[in-house]
Amino acid sequence: MWSYLIRRLAYNIPVYFSILLLVMLALRVRDPVFGRLGKNATQEDITALRAELGLDRPFVYQYGDQVRQVVTFTFDEKSWDYDGQTVGEVLRRCIGPSLAITIPALILTSLLSISVSLVSAWFRGRTLDKSLVFVSVLGMSISFLVYIIFGQYFGAYRLNEYLGKDLFAIYYEPSASNATLGEFVTQVWPKYYLLPVMISVIVAMGYDTRFYRAVMVEESSRDYITTATAKGASHGKIMFVHMLKNALIPIITRVVITIPFLITGSFLLERYFGIPGMGNQLLMAVESGDFPIVQSFTAVFAAIYILSNLLTDVLYALVDPRVRLS
Amino acid sequence: MSDSSANDSRVLRKFLRHKPAVVASVVIAVYGVVAFVLLVVGVITLPDTLKRVGAELQPGLSSERLPEKRLLDCEWLIDRIASLSERRNPEKALAAFSDMGVRRIADVELDELLNRIDLAWESYDELADIEDVTAAAAGTLDDPDVPPPAEVRSMLTELEKRTDALLEPMTKAEKSTRWFELLLGTDRQGRSIFYRAVYSVRVAILIGLVTALLSVTIGTLAGLAAGYFGGWVDNVVTWFYSTFASIPNIVLLILLAFMFDGGHIDGPINKVTGGLLDRLIGGRLDETLIPVYIAFTATFWIGPCRVVRGETMKIKELEYIQAATVMGFGRARILLRHVLPNVTYLMLINFSLLFIGAIKSEVILSFLGLGVKKGPSWGIMISQSKSEVINSFFWQIGTATTFMFFLVLAFNVLSDALQDVLDPKHV
Repeated sequence: MWSYLIRRLAYNIPVYFSILLLVMLALRVRDPVFGRLGKNATQEDITALRAELGLDRPFVYQYGDQVRQVVTFTFDEKSWDYDGQTVGEVLRRCIGPSLAITIPALILTSLLSISVSLVSAWFRGRTLDKSLVFVSVLGMSISFLVYIIFGQYFGAYRLNEYLGKDLFAIYYEPSASNATLGEFVTQVWPKYYLLPVMISVIVAMGYDTRFYRAVMVEESSRDYITTATAKGASHGKIMFVHMLKNALIPIITRVVITIPFLITGSFLLERYFGIPGMGNQLLMAVESGDFPIVQSFTAVFAAIYILSNLLTDVLYALVDPRVRLS
Repeated sequence: MSDSSANDSRVLRKFLRHKPAVVASVVIAVYGVVAFVLLVVGVITLPDTLKRVGAELQPGLSSERLPEKRLLDCEWLIDRIASLSERRNPEKALAAFSDMGVRRIADVELDELLNRIDLAWESYDELADIEDVTAAAAGTLDDPDVPPPAEVRSMLTELEKRTDALLEPMTKAEKSTRWFELLLGTDRQGRSIFYRAVYSVRVAILIGLVTALLSVTIGTLAGLAAGYFGGWVDNVVTWFYSTFASIPNIVLLILLAFMFDGGHIDGPINKVTGGLLDRLIGGRLDETLIPVYIAFTATFWIGPCRVVRGETMKIKELEYIQAATVMGFGRARILLRHVLPNVTYLMLINFSLLFIGAIKSEVILSFLGLGVKKGPSWGIMISQSKSEVINSFFWQIGTATTFMFFLVLAFNVLSDALQDVLDPKHV
């Protein structure tokens, strides 16, 4: 097991370094300093800013510096937008809000869509199953953005009007960031985060339910199910004991695989609801040309992505003894 | 040869038996024809989608407007024409009027027009005195000074008649054009939602087609080479796709769109090659979409590459390939004549899947301001309707979503059918 893990890690390290290289090169196609200061900048300003970020050094040094920052997890470059704050400080501030969306969304989506797919598999081929599949295909054909716009309109705007009080906030308020942990769980999260999480769950349900149902259907045609049926096991026992256990292998893979999708989804949600997470911060940095943040945030996103891929491989090997580790 | 054609027709028969898939293909074909007609013939052109066709936020399908809104719409039109008639050269300004789509200002002497404007204002002022026209017309306003509801309604009709008299009566052809212009209402800038939605079909098909074709071609070639040759070729291809696959899709898209934004890449390429890119894709294929094409292709080629590589590695070990090798065929011939035909089903399935991916990603990129730059697209329409939804105006978001919904649904159904027919073992 350990040798497998180390081998996977060893394979991913060069991949990660080449991602860093690629990202850094891509960001230098347009002169970041020029983009930041605009056309009216004086030569002195440009030279000063360039020197401040060390962009005047040879590329190899810059690359080495970035690698050092990632490895030691100290992003000590100064952000251009936030005076006096390092990228690391901005990053630490943003991780919490992002996780407050992705983790609940992941758990809820998985639980709900597995339950729905079980219902679908139980009634396989009947009207309920067919309509569930149909609804999930319909749901998949609507843009994520439409869900968000209508979610905000009906879930926050109209509902608040109807109730006469603010159940869900329409837009994030900066004062909410100062809450203590207790306040965050009891007041801030339900008000600002619950609605985005629900939208995220509804969007992901269509894709996941369809996939899990396909997995269940695939499992249900295997020999061991026939054997169990022949032995006289009940329908319920076959489904929940025999089938679900085996179906867990692709399910776990799928759950871990959706982590990156959740990152993507939370980009839009954070942006739309003004939640100060990593995605929103990266987008703002791209717009204002805050080069140090764009560079380091992309590196962190890639790292999360690779780690979740790694986790998939390991879990896969752990759950399914048929997967050979060599 | 006869064997393979029998096989093809069996697949085709199986496909034709799949009713939803046939319907989906027809739907896709309709969208394709619309896009082709727009692209080549140009029934609805870019300027059509950008010009005003009437007052803002008109509901579509001739739905009833609130009396308050009717009053506002009349006010807007009278005010617009009155301000034109006060210009230094009123005849010229009035002749150039184009805020009502095909409708022109009444072809009468200036004095007569001014007279009609005064009449319209008179009628307007009477109604403007009422605090809440909507309530007054419904009779729910409890105020002795306000005329009875029936009278308010007839006053409103009279105002609309007088406002309409400022415009030239329409010919039959103009009437039908006008019907299309207002079919699905107007957006916040008074532009025709129908024109914008239909024009966006072209953008969607263009983005879908170009990126899906490019990605499938690149992915298949890379996958074939990696799977068949193995060794260092395989290592390079695997390295490339693991690298690209390890950057979150949206981050890569943002990064690439950001990088290619503002002609930083296509500019230099054009300069070096003497305007090659412009000649290749400028005009018809829309050069402002180049960043989008490149960003999508760079992320989408991974999918087909992965599956084709896996399949090629399996096929390589089969006896007929070994037989071909023994018969002394060249590697290129084996690859293209013997392996490629057996992975075409993967290309088809992936093409369909990537088409959906491209259309959906366009919406997200356009919302972030990195997507389509010139003219409308469904993504742009949906992002613009954000402020309209708050005012309970759903025509723009509804139209764009519906247009997109049927195309994406058709491709979803088609992809499923292709999977079923061509790759039944797949989960």
